[in-house]
Amino acid sequence: MKKKDLMKFSTKAVHIGQNHDGITGAVIPPIYMTSTYANQKFGKHQNYSYGRSQNLNRSQLEENIASLEEGKFGLAFSSGVAAIHSLSALMNQGDHIIVSDNVYGGTFRLFDKVIAKSNIEFSWIDFNKKNLLENSIKKNTRIVFIETPTNPMLNLIDIKEVSSVCKRNNLLLIVDNTFMTPYFQRPLTLGADIVIHSSTKYLNGHSDVIGGLLVLNDEENFRKLKFLQNSVGAVPSPFDCWLVQRALKTLPLRMERHNSNAMKIAKYLEQHPKIKKVFYPGLKNNPYYKLAKNQMYGFGGVVTVESDNDGTMKKFFRKIKLFTLAESLGGVESLVNHPATMSHSAMTEEQRLKLGIKKTTVRISVGIEDIDDLIKDLENALK
Amino acid sequence: MQKKENDKFDENKYSMDTHIIYGKNISSKWDYSHHVTAPISSSTTFRLDSVERGSQGFERFANTQIFGDDAPIFIYDRLGEPNKDLLEENLAYVERGEMAVTFATGMGAISAVLGITTKSGDEIIAHHTLYGCTISLLNNWYPRYNINVKYIDLQNPENLLSALTEKTKVIYFETPANPNLDIIDIQKVTDVVAEINKSRDEKNQILTIVDNTFSTPYCQRPIEFGVDFVVHSLTKGIGGFGTDMGGVVIGKKKYKDTLLLYRKDFGAVLSPKSAWAILTYGLPSLALRTKTQIRSALEIAQFLSLHEKIEFVNYPGLKSYKYYDIAQKQMRNFDGDFAPGTLIYFVIKGNSPAESKEKGSKFMDYIADHAYTMNLAVSLGHTRTLIEHPASMTHSVIPPEKLGESGIDAGGVRLAIGLEKVEDIIYDLNEALKII
Repeated sequence: MKKKDLMKFSTKAVHIGQNHDGITGAVIPPIYMTSTYANQKFGKHQNYSYGRSQNLNRSQLEENIASLEEGKFGLAFSSGVAAIHSLSALMNQGDHIIVSDNVYGGTFRLFDKVIAKSNIEFSWIDFNKKNLLENSIKKNTRIVFIETPTNPMLNLIDIKEVSSVCKRNNLLLIVDNTFMTPYFQRPLTLGADIVIHSSTKYLNGHSDVIGGLLVLNDEENFRKLKFLQNSVGAVPSPFDCWLVQRALKTLPLRMERHNSNAMKIAKYLEQHPKIKKVFYPGLKNNPYYKLAKNQMYGFGGVVTVESDNDGTMKKFFRKIKLFTLAESLGGVESLVNHPATMSHSAMTEEQRLKLGIKKTTVRISVGIEDIDDLIKDLENALK
Repeated sequence: MQKKENDKFDENKYSMDTHIIYGKNISSKWDYSHHVTAPISSSTTFRLDSVERGSQGFERFANTQIFGDDAPIFIYDRLGEPNKDLLEENLAYVERGEMAVTFATGMGAISAVLGITTKSGDEIIAHHTLYGCTISLLNNWYPRYNINVKYIDLQNPENLLSALTEKTKVIYFETPANPNLDIIDIQKVTDVVAEINKSRDEKNQILTIVDNTFSTPYCQRPIEFGVDFVVHSLTKGIGGFGTDMGGVVIGKKKYKDTLLLYRKDFGAVLSPKSAWAILTYGLPSLALRTKTQIRSALEIAQFLSLHEKIEFVNYPGLKSYKYYDIAQKQMRNFDGDFAPGTLIYFVIKGNSPAESKEKGSKFMDYIADHAYTMNLAVSLGHTRTLIEHPASMTHSVIPPEKLGESGIDAGGVRLAIGLEKVEDIIYDLNEALKII
């Protein structure tokens, strides 16, 4: 067993890929801001030739995320959707792909408006409807793509169950793990083949980098994805990789805090007279509570609520102070989002209602601030 | 560590415009090997292989006289890290010095060089026109250390003879001086000092320090005229983009250890990220930027000198400027061509100093509101043209009644030329002059 296989999560987050600089002994790796590398002699270079193809900071980040997700290979991209787009390396014309029907809007747009043009067929299904997955599989089905928990309704999909269907039918299972991060959920250990991340969210966690990551075990697929990474060139800058790598070191600390703050907020809002419903997998009455306990090590930092009426919602957004009204999630600062007009505005109202997104639905990304301050702010905004 | 042959570096074969890009080509300080651009050092602390190596590192620190400075043992960023080392090698090289030590800011460098060359009871002689914060350092702090500062007019170096005393240890000046561009004959000053030093013992030699920020090594290398130390605010022309602060002291090797010790103990260290930016963007583009800025400055100075609303223009490249001949002699670029710098000082006409000042502020406010090519801001050597009013900004430390003694006019304007198209700068200046 290798040394890194024996390490626990927090130790890996701090150490993997972070070997001290061999020449100077620098404890933190330098930022290798170079676009090109000198060949030692004609036809001979030291595995690094050009910044789009390889960069040391990127390799370090890829190695680190791979170990956190308990996978063999990692790949870094310049955004979450760029990471998802790279999956087209594994698709061929005429393929059929099954996607969970409430994936992130950007994923929907990419599949429906861009990748579909290459004569690739998509089915959008509810994975919690019994037998629907099996019944949706066709001869040309190659890939199953899911997100769990979903955005913003926080529905869970049983990864193990989906994975066993995929294995029986020889399908590749891809899981977007952005909401949970490997600290709370490791899909590869539950049978998924590829894990996708928008590192912009919890992994970087400080709302200052756009990035995407991908982890897998299969070497042949890795080569195909790596080939596309280099051909398309949606690679992150060395500085961004260095920042994400720095942030990963505090991922366990941040996730613990996001989780405990979110739990307290969910419980507080659950008993609030102006809040009709609270969606949070950590609440015992949540329909996914048991599954959450089974496949996740925590419940995450996103809480979605439905207020009693339009007026409450509008007043809430006007009066809330600490929580910033903004897109994105997963940062150290608390954010609130109105899915109907913001994150999910690309959908029609009918599509939204099908998923349970109403005008009164509010998505809260709970930050790591002091919980008393956060609750006081919510209390005030709901008065 | 694989030893790299540095056979490509030949001082005589290539010109300095090229050397400022490559430095010495391969540094013993950090073999970042095949990365064409240096990495950014981002570690506060460095792993030591053993206690023995750790103690070796401390023993060698600031002990380059004995151990040399080829393969340093890095311990902790404040003591030294590779980006600063790389930058220091190249800065020493372009300024024709034996060594360079960088600091967090220009003032960090100035206070360090004065800190290692003077002690209680000593005396400093300085030219009466200096950067406002240097004056502030000398006037507000040096009396506490019992170090006397005498301001004289060094434009006549003979004035030194009557000002010097047994206690004099340092002669300090800028040329061109900030803000009015007084020019001091460097060779004449060092000649006078050399003559006096003949009768002094080794310990009591008078040292000359020149702040070369206004010229940058592209326009002038005072060490070639015999000065002991050159200081720079790297924030200005050398940094060149207005993104990073920095300072440097350049001089003889024998002072390096004391400067390193001073920097370690007083803590004004240059951030490696700033060192990297100056190393990667600033220095390599110095020749290109300065060449363009000089060409524009000359045209702008000519335009201003012919304008009816301007009392006078100080620019070393103008034949009408009273120090033109000295400038011609000592301000030369790496190829030996006349390089009169990128700053212009001019005074707006008025029937009285009060009227002149009032018109000056009106002119500047118009620029602040309307000009696209100029920013009303302190600093200089930027990609953008910066305009400022020394009496109320950079030199506000000098009381109004004493401005004259420092050669500063109430209505004086300092213009630091950027990289804009020169016609556009002239257009904006012309528009602003119309309203006064």
